[in-house]
Amino acid sequence: MTNAIIVKNLKKNYGELKAVDGVNLQIKEGEFFALLGPNGAGKSTTIHVLTSLAVKSSGTVKIFNHDIETDHIKAREQIGLVPQEFNMDIFEIVEKLLYFNAGYYGIPRAERKKRIEEVLELTGLTKKRKVKVIALSGGMKRKLMIARALLHKPKILILDEPTAGVDVETRQDMWKFLKKLNKESKMTFLLTTHYIEEAEQLCERIAIIQKGKIIACDNKDKIMKKFGRDEVHVTLSKNVSEKEVASVLKGYNYENGGKLVKITIPAENFDYNKLVAKLGKLPLDKIITKEKSLEEIFVDLTHKYQSKKSVGGFSQ
Amino acid sequence: MNQLTALMTLVERELSRIFRVWRQTLVPPIITASLYILIFGYSLGSRIDLGTSVDYLTFIFPGLVLMGVITSAYSNSSFSLFISKFHKSIQELLASPMSYLSINLGYTIGSLVRAGIVAIGTYVVGYLLAGITIQHPILAIYIVLVSSVIFSQMGILTAMWAEDFDQINVFTVFLITPLIYLGGVFYSIDLLPPFWRSISQFNPIFYLVDSFRFAFIGVSDTSVYLSVIVATVIAVILIGISMCLMQKGYKIKS
Repeated sequence: MTNAIIVKNLKKNYGELKAVDGVNLQIKEGEFFALLGPNGAGKSTTIHVLTSLAVKSSGTVKIFNHDIETDHIKAREQIGLVPQEFNMDIFEIVEKLLYFNAGYYGIPRAERKKRIEEVLELTGLTKKRKVKVIALSGGMKRKLMIARALLHKPKILILDEPTAGVDVETRQDMWKFLKKLNKESKMTFLLTTHYIEEAEQLCERIAIIQKGKIIACDNKDKIMKKFGRDEVHVTLSKNVSEKEVASVLKGYNYENGGKLVKITIPAENFDYNKLVAKLGKLPLDKIITKEKSLEEIFVDLTHKYQSKKSVGGFSQ
Repeated sequence: MNQLTALMTLVERELSRIFRVWRQTLVPPIITASLYILIFGYSLGSRIDLGTSVDYLTFIFPGLVLMGVITSAYSNSSFSLFISKFHKSIQELLASPMSYLSINLGYTIGSLVRAGIVAIGTYVVGYLLAGITIQHPILAIYIVLVSSVIFSQMGILTAMWAEDFDQINVFTVFLITPLIYLGGVFYSIDLLPPFWRSISQFNPIFYLVDSFRFAFIGVSDTSVYLSVIVATVIAVILIGISMCLMQKGYKIKS
């Protein structure tokens, strides 16, 4: 499958600050990819470099094999951008705003009307076509930015925190819309978000970015398997001494909280039978297994990275 | 990707903005010029003798037209680009496949059209109120064009550099207005002491006003050829600088 986006050793510095610090990414055509990270991790800066809104310090970025610097016109033709912040002439009417934007992509006048109808219909903004942008609600402005990004039928849709600041209902609507769009088109999606649920709902592959570096990048399920350690929560019917628990659970990684003992499962091919046999020696009330959510993995990874960073760096 | 379609779209957007707020963009310079005509044509003008073959109003009229052209061209590109930067709608252009040349040309042509309408409007007022005519129309058109290009490029440069509205006005107040008033709009530089006459020759607006006046009355303080060359060279240099900075994304990209 063709690579839609290739990023090699991308760096972007703002003075001393390394906003993006050697990012490598390969996103296949048709993929729904999420760049996940906390605020200030470098997600938007990476997107800005990809879409020519920021000038990179070093590295290479290719969009369908077109370099964003030496072949920038071809590279930009492939991308539709839905930015994090509203970036529209707020005094323009919706229809006119789309008309001008279609023109910037060289779409002839005759075709523009048809395209505008299509994207208005697709985003449910047909009734708002004569309304000034300033009069639209936050959710509608987001939809308008999606409509604008789809006008020139891009091969890649880049969404920079598309649901930031919108209510739960609008967010759910937008997810439905994006899922449908991904299913019906061959478009490649690159989404940045700090809503883990959003990445979980929409994406196939995830990269976690922290302090400008990619600290994990894989298929969503693989990330869950690789970093998500299951836990066995054992509730005891009576208090047991630490010595007794230690003798039963020798060799296991556990946390003794009195009547609740949490055992971390170390690997994929774990022998549960052996554990259950050992646990039989303790006065059991209840045993449950708990799978780590992507959110917990994300928090673990970013915290681990943060603490390793603070004691002298982390190798990618 | 058709760059011409993209360019014409940006021009269309610029013109749509100019005509949407025509009371701010087109009328004020024409009213200002009309007031000058009334004051200098019907009251003070007859009492001022510059020692030239024409009356005072006819002498200053080309400068008045050019004043409108310069301020219109400058404020059009500077304000439009700065507002786009302020609203971040400049990102629509920067993320699009439009070439930097198309973007620059779009703003420049917008300024040119606005300055052209102001020039025609002011001339019509001058013709109707004072019967002023043009001796060399092609030269007049060229000077309007080159002046518009120079000041639209200055507007683009200011808008890229400026971080707030105050900085946009700094150039108007501290550079453009003094250059206009010291550029020989209201007097012949021959009337100045030798030192100030030499200083005036470093003022680019002097060459524009002087050659534009020649187009109207056939008299100039310096060689028209020199003026045309100086104006053209300045325009080319400014286009080069603004294109170069735009390509580097100077203060318009992060």
